[in-house]
Amino acid sequence: MIETELIELLKQKDRAAFKNVVDTWQGMVYNTAIGILQNAEDAEDVTQETFIQVFESVSSFKGESKFSTWVYRITVSKAMDHIRKKKRKKRFAFIQSLYGKNDKPLIDPPDFFHPGVSMENKENAAVLFKAMEQLSPNQKTAFVLNKVEGLSYIEIGEVMKISDSAVDALLHRAKANLKKILKEYYAALNKN
Amino acid sequence: MKDEFINKKVEGAMESLDGIQGANPRPFLFTRLEARMQNDRNFWSKLSSFVARPIIAFACVCFVLIINVMVIFLSKHSGSLTAQQGSEIAAVDEYSQVSQVSYNLYDLENNKP
Repeated sequence: MIETELIELLKQKDRAAFKNVVDTWQGMVYNTAIGILQNAEDAEDVTQETFIQVFESVSSFKGESKFSTWVYRITVSKAMDHIRKKKRKKRFAFIQSLYGKNDKPLIDPPDFFHPGVSMENKENAAVLFKAMEQLSPNQKTAFVLNKVEGLSYIEIGEVMKISDSAVDALLHRAKANLKKILKEYYAALNKN
Repeated sequence: MKDEFINKKVEGAMESLDGIQGANPRPFLFTRLEARMQNDRNFWSKLSSFVARPIIAFACVCFVLIINVMVIFLSKHSGSLTAQQGSEIAAVDEYSQVSQVSYNLYDLENNKP
């Protein structure tokens, strides 16, 4: 079934078409979400939210961009919303703990190991993912789309609605920041 | 020597995502998705998610505050009116009693032979 037909059927809320869309793009959505969120459960949650959004707002898809680009946009926006919600919850839990209402300790999640990274790179990748948490949302998104999803600068520009040169600048700054963070990390590790 | 080691580690970390494979969700994602959509269609879950939206919650708080201010303002205003009305009523009552009395006296005078 060609993409335009699939989208037309999806606009008519066809269940089989929706299943087809989920089966086709679930890997792409999940991989992007796990790259940004660095947590399998959160990534699954965002993947579901993304497809619900796709199903509910497919009528607003005008076909000006590729369908996959539109799905990427929803995924990134849902993942960013999820991070904001989590931060808000963390702040609220901290305030509650000040008033003694929440006895649960605030523990940072353990190192994230991406399931697609080869065995010999697992430790290094975990350090890199930890460093990525300190990047700005835009830099992180561009870096994940480029390194984890393997998108070109043009494709990243379409997803983020920015020019190729802006993507280039964003990735350059992201890499420079990551190198700086990693240098500090390994220097501190070497001291101990 | 130390810098060389650190630079090597940094380069190693930066290149660690080269050749990364795509991660896939657990099997039966569509089944879980359908179950979630069914659950989301439930009236109460729809209502709770609607009310939990920050803009809606903020609008509700504003509405309650406006109602409170209006009630305070109206009760003050109606309180002063009541006092005024009360004095008017009292004055009218007093006048009616006086006029009643005078009328009675007048009647009495007129009825005398």
